[in-house]
Amino acid sequence: MSQEMTLDPVQGQLDKSPAKGAPKKRSQWLEVWHRLKRDKMAMLGLFIITLVVLAAIFADLIADYETVVIAQNLADRLQGPSAQYWLGTDEFGRDIFARIIHGTRVSLMVGVLSVAIAIVMGGGLGAVAGYYGGKIDNVIMRVMDIFLAVPSILLAIAIVSALGANLMNLMLAIAISSVPTYARVVRASVLTIRDQEFIEAARAIGASDLRIIFRHIIPNCLSPVIVQGALGVAGAILSTAGLSFIGLGIQPPEPEWGAMLAGGRQYLRHAWHVTTFPGLTIMITILALNLLGDGLRDALDPRLKH
Amino acid sequence: MHRFILKRLLLLIPVLLGVSLLVFAIMSFTPGDPAQLILGENAPPEAVAELREEMGLNDPFLLRYARFVGNAATGDLGQSYTSGRDVFDEIFSRFPNTLILAALGVVIAVIIGIPIGIISATRQYSMIDSGSMFFALLGVSMPNFWLGLMMILLFSVNLGWVPSGGYSSWSSLIMPAITLGTGSAAIITRMTRSSMLEVIRQDYIRTARAKGVAENVVINRHALKNALIPVITVIGLQFGMLLGGAVLTETVFSWPGVGRMMVDAIRQKDAPTVLGTVVFLATTFSLVNLLVDLLYGFVDPRIKSQYA
Amino acid sequence: MIKAVKAAIAVGMAVVLSACGGAEEAVKMKDTLVVGQGADAKTLDPHATNDQPSSRVAVQIYSQLVETDKDMNIVPGLAESWKSLDDKTTQFTLRKGVKFHNGEELKASDVKFTLEAMIASPTVAHIVNSISTVEVVDDYTVNVITKEPFGPLLYHLTHTAASILNEKAVKAAGDSYGQKPVGTGPYQFVDWAVGDRITLKAFDNYYGGKQEIPNVIFRNIPEGTNRAIALETGEIDIGYDLEPIDKDTVRSKDNLALVEEESFSVAYLGFNTKKAPYDNVKVRQAISYAINADDIVEAVLMGAGSPSSSPIGPKVFGFNPNIERYKQNFDKARELLTEAGYADGFKTSIWTNDNPTRVQIAQVLQAQLRQIGIDMSIEVVEWGAFLDGTSRGDHDMFIMGWVTVTGDADYGLYALFNSATHGGAGNRSFYSNAEVDQLLNQARTSTDAGERKELYGKIQVILQNEVPTFSIYDQYQNIGIQKNVLGFHMAPAGHHKIRGVRFQG
Repeated sequence: MSQEMTLDPVQGQLDKSPAKGAPKKRSQWLEVWHRLKRDKMAMLGLFIITLVVLAAIFADLIADYETVVIAQNLADRLQGPSAQYWLGTDEFGRDIFARIIHGTRVSLMVGVLSVAIAIVMGGGLGAVAGYYGGKIDNVIMRVMDIFLAVPSILLAIAIVSALGANLMNLMLAIAISSVPTYARVVRASVLTIRDQEFIEAARAIGASDLRIIFRHIIPNCLSPVIVQGALGVAGAILSTAGLSFIGLGIQPPEPEWGAMLAGGRQYLRHAWHVTTFPGLTIMITILALNLLGDGLRDALDPRLKH
Repeated sequence: MHRFILKRLLLLIPVLLGVSLLVFAIMSFTPGDPAQLILGENAPPEAVAELREEMGLNDPFLLRYARFVGNAATGDLGQSYTSGRDVFDEIFSRFPNTLILAALGVVIAVIIGIPIGIISATRQYSMIDSGSMFFALLGVSMPNFWLGLMMILLFSVNLGWVPSGGYSSWSSLIMPAITLGTGSAAIITRMTRSSMLEVIRQDYIRTARAKGVAENVVINRHALKNALIPVITVIGLQFGMLLGGAVLTETVFSWPGVGRMMVDAIRQKDAPTVLGTVVFLATTFSLVNLLVDLLYGFVDPRIKSQYA
Repeated sequence: MIKAVKAAIAVGMAVVLSACGGAEEAVKMKDTLVVGQGADAKTLDPHATNDQPSSRVAVQIYSQLVETDKDMNIVPGLAESWKSLDDKTTQFTLRKGVKFHNGEELKASDVKFTLEAMIASPTVAHIVNSISTVEVVDDYTVNVITKEPFGPLLYHLTHTAASILNEKAVKAAGDSYGQKPVGTGPYQFVDWAVGDRITLKAFDNYYGGKQEIPNVIFRNIPEGTNRAIALETGEIDIGYDLEPIDKDTVRSKDNLALVEEESFSVAYLGFNTKKAPYDNVKVRQAISYAINADDIVEAVLMGAGSPSSSPIGPKVFGFNPNIERYKQNFDKARELLTEAGYADGFKTSIWTNDNPTRVQIAQVLQAQLRQIGIDMSIEVVEWGAFLDGTSRGDHDMFIMGWVTVTGDADYGLYALFNSATHGGAGNRSFYSNAEVDQLLNQARTSTDAGERKELYGKIQVILQNEVPTFSIYDQYQNIGIQKNVLGFHMAPAGHHKIRGVRFQG
């Protein structure tokens, strides 16, 4: 199942809870940054991700959507890389370079938004479960177990066929299947924090549960969530590609890396560039996210301090 | 110990009930009529209606669900809508294929992951660390159907070493297992590395070093032993995941496994097969997890005592 | 701990190796023909399914009363002769001494049993629902009586679903018959590794003589690219339905050949004619003029088809060759749109299932319709939801395909354009035209081939003018084959018979 169905590339580390001790101050984040800077691989990841984000922001300056990205030019189909088409053209004669650039928007959006949805839903549930404990905890976590046991592909097909196949529903499908992961991560952190003195103190001065959760607990669970999130974005992009492969991807003609990769696979042997460039783009981006995620994990984990 | 196992098995029941209810609801309430799908594009509406009645699809949702649970409790998962085949039989005829692929995938992941993880950890922030983590991560960064296709091109078409798909001989296993294993390899590498890093910093290792024990002995005898405990959990989890079927890998290599069976059934709205495969996979996954927990207790007596 | 890991690895390897020992070594090339197709059969009970992968295997195992030759003439099958006793009764005389794979002899009672079981099976009843009774005259003579005179009866009986079953075998197997099929065909069932392969062996007592190739294996290879690769590596001898892009590679190999022929399959664009603006024939015509089918054939099929002018393919009985097809003409299209009151075009959507070819067609159509101001969004709908929604009429436009399996126009036109079959029964464009209804019924109940041809010709003229569906192309079907395999012929319906195939040398 590895990367294809689970959206979580770091199984088994879920219950690690680097967040310990008192609330972090600004200087601690600075310290994290200093530690991160020492990690060459993480910095490489950060650099690549910056490039991808820039491509997404300036996509319209690089290539026009209407006339280049989605306009078909059947006379020029499946052309190899050339001065005119840097990375060649696809089966409809569209410029692959332009599509990859515009695809950054779609892919990043799918990645980031689906993770954001999952963090909000999963994090919320996990925080409540961990904070209140007891029956509430039990019920929430059993429901999470159920969702974990239902293949994400089934959830995706169900959501897509019930609500229609579009970008939003696809993100929702990917998000829902990773909710249990975030619920577990946050719950584990909350469990280590909730009985600590500063929480007791807040409670003693009459802070409401909601205030305690939002002001004190959530900020202290951030670091595992950030790590998980960076890796989650990578997982979400891969999942989209996987869903495209079985025919449930983004609606054409929207350029999305996974759809480009999956759609071009039948041309793999004759027009290698059609899948190779989207494939490399995905690979490099995912790699960058993973490098950054791993670097963050090391940097955020106080136990690994030198 | 026995009570622990019993408790875990009992806990499985509500989860499976929940899973099956959820799947049953999904299959019932999403668009697409199984009777229409069986009869095809030009079935007269009367025929569809007749078949629906025959299949019991017009009965109330809860009645159908209760019927399913009742039968499942006696080991009868029903018959596939599309093939009429006994779902349980089909799962068991395909499961060995899935099992062997997952087993070999994990073996490959372990062979790659543990050594790289150890080397990385002992030389944190060095070039070797960066380089080996880089390669380990490459595996998890590649959409694996793409990796599979590329391997087919190289090893089947150009070199002619192994069959491109299907399951005809032992050589058919190699490429799918590698495709499946690379993702897990990266995860095992990561876990080994971070676990090693943690252990290396502990006092008893420092003591061993201070006593002048050779570095490789420190690593192999003292550090590794403890560092591998959490890694075993991850290996177990990965095995459970891979057993869950690797739909994309199975598609690329025309592999007759349970994952592919499930996805085909989902698309056919073949509810008995979908329910059967999902419940079966969820059970297997949970049992593997339970086994891992027990194994964990076995290697680390401190944990064992918690089970009592 | 290291030891434990090593032990685990050793155990793993042992498991792998023992399993390999168990898997039989690939059988020697020359006595086994391996065929790769895109899906596994569902069941080999011809009455339980009507899907192509199943039929493609079943057709090797069973025989029908009558068959078609490659020019679509009706030729003897299990029936050595037949005659009309009156306009509703056809009398078939069976071959004597035909054996089923279980050793039973074929009797008229088996024919009666088969056809009656078919009528009772919702899956395939529509193929024979014209039949009212089947009478056994003696062991080798059987009368088939239809409710009304029914012209296409013989064509319908060539359908793989009309394969003759053995009453005893069906009753003995009960629910599991689909996994233990018994027929009278050239190959008999041996083994089924579900999801992977079905193994057949030559039947010693086949009435047409024992086959030269002793074993035939049907392998399930879902990806088109992989079928081409398996051909190249020699893992399979015949690959069905190669991707258009792989055709040249197969052609370029010395040991491989690519065979491409016309089929009964037509891809079409349907309009929901009960919904505005598609209730206006001018809008439908305008869209027809905006489409360049040559481009679609080129881009999507890489030339493996020909632009179509009729909902039935040229090989089908009743095809009218004198119909002009729509040629792309944007001026005319805009003019028609203006006349219909949509000078500025409109927004609409097209439904397709996730079949990659259809999604590609939709993409080309999207670009072409944009030229006349029609802003069309593509909705890729899952197949189940697609059938549901189009049955109800939720859609605007849709893409679908049709295979006139029987090779007779009735099968291709009746369900699709009759006002009595709106929605799920086949007419997903909700087209209603009293004249067409009347002509369809007249052609169906006529038993005069000349008259039927003329009636179907008329229907196609009306349809081409009113375009409830725009026929995009007649699709060619292809196979890739090792050059040392001789004697393989394609069937236009796609159910190729392995019968008579041999290896060179």
